[in-house]
Amino acid sequence: MNSTLKNKIRKIVAYVLAILTVVAFIVFIVMRQTTDFSFEPYNVPLIRERIFTAFKNTILVSVISLIGSMILGFILYLFTKSKIKYFNAFADVITEIVYGTPLLVLIIISAFLIAPAFDSRNFVLYGIIALIVYMAPYMTNVYKSAFSSIAEEQYMAMDLFGFTPYQKYRYIIVPQVIRILMPTLMNNFSLIIKGSALLNVLAYSELYYTIQQAQYSNFAFVEGYILMWGLYLIITIPLSQLAKFVERKWSL
Amino acid sequence: MKLNINNISHSYDVEVLHDINFQLDKYKSIGIIGVSGSGKSTLIRIMSGMEQPTSGNVSINTMDVQSEEYRKKIGFVFQNHNLFPHLSLKRNITLILEKTRGKTKTEAEEMALKYLNLLHLGDQVNKLPKNVSGGQAQRASLARALSINPEIIFLDEPTSSLDPILTHEVLTAIEDLRDLGKEFVFVTHVMSFVKDFADYVIFMYQGEIIEHGLPTILDNPSTFELKEFMRKVR
Repeated sequence: MNSTLKNKIRKIVAYVLAILTVVAFIVFIVMRQTTDFSFEPYNVPLIRERIFTAFKNTILVSVISLIGSMILGFILYLFTKSKIKYFNAFADVITEIVYGTPLLVLIIISAFLIAPAFDSRNFVLYGIIALIVYMAPYMTNVYKSAFSSIAEEQYMAMDLFGFTPYQKYRYIIVPQVIRILMPTLMNNFSLIIKGSALLNVLAYSELYYTIQQAQYSNFAFVEGYILMWGLYLIITIPLSQLAKFVERKWSL
Repeated sequence: MKLNINNISHSYDVEVLHDINFQLDKYKSIGIIGVSGSGKSTLIRIMSGMEQPTSGNVSINTMDVQSEEYRKKIGFVFQNHNLFPHLSLKRNITLILEKTRGKTKTEAEEMALKYLNLLHLGDQVNKLPKNVSGGQAQRASLARALSINPEIIFLDEPTSSLDPILTHEVLTAIEDLRDLGKEFVFVTHVMSFVKDFADYVIFMYQGEIIEHGLPTILDNPSTFELKEFMRKVR
């Protein structure tokens, strides 16, 4: 047996043991409960259907927020790089405010103060905008670290060989930046998915809100939270695994 | 090489080159020496057209070094190989040939392999720069510079980031290129290499060329500064 295979098996065993540790803890907690558990209240067609829709909504909102914050984050990045001092300052001010604001507060202000100011009753839209604004500075950081990773001399070499601007981006800059960008991007995506739960305050039927509504009618609170937990993990764990995969495959 | 340097001055925050005037009309391999900070890297970058001097102009072989025509005829090897880190050694060469020199895939592949083989890298062509030794990466960089069939090759301290064994490996590879009929301009701290490879030597001190001549000036310096320099590098 070669050593890389051995290492792989060792790693798998280590992961299995780690997962078993967590499972053992959960079993212990469950055994200690005095009341009985039953997920049956959630296994009725209507609720199942609602939860499935909510699951899709959570993913949908997260993807929209991801794309939105990537765009806004890039604009902020350009602001920080701008020669015009006002833009630098503006980006700085926004970043400071966002870093110091809890997401929940931002969502509520956006939906209940900013939306009416623009004569809008579309609270959910403004909630999503809040999520986008909240994530934008984090995305700006992603771009910052990615672009600064390309050394000055590489640009010199590109000039020397006579690459056109398009060729520079297409063959040299973007392929390198993407590899560096991906892992942090995925982490941010996880943050967005978890952040989307806060849209429940706007009565938007994402996962958290929908399960909460079910809890109010069937009183199976503990089961509801466990279900919620599991469903969020179903979205986030594959994502972070994907990020790790990309990191391994493409890391320089 | 017909070299014509006219009133070159260059400053970043401080002045690094001070009103250099210099002419040469023969010699195929020019070595530039001097202590760190004497302006030799700046000079070689200006000579290669990569950097524009604050004032003055340079022409080599009757071409302005800032011209497009000139740019197509030079190769440059950086201090730190400076290969594109996400591309294999081979792709580092084929990409340039395909995209900027209009070669077909097969032509580019053929040429890349020819030059990588010439530099004894035939068995490393598909590796990424990070997966080969510093010496191998630097030789690949040399292959890349050669692949565009330049008239002149610039080498800016090609071994400064290598240990003595790898330095020897790279310098030997460069010496083997003597018969290709190329012209060379190089900056280095390895005096034995200057003596072997240069047929003309330029010594820089505080942004000026203060002594120049055949490599024999290294053994019989006429200025105090070069005397001191030779005493220290030995």
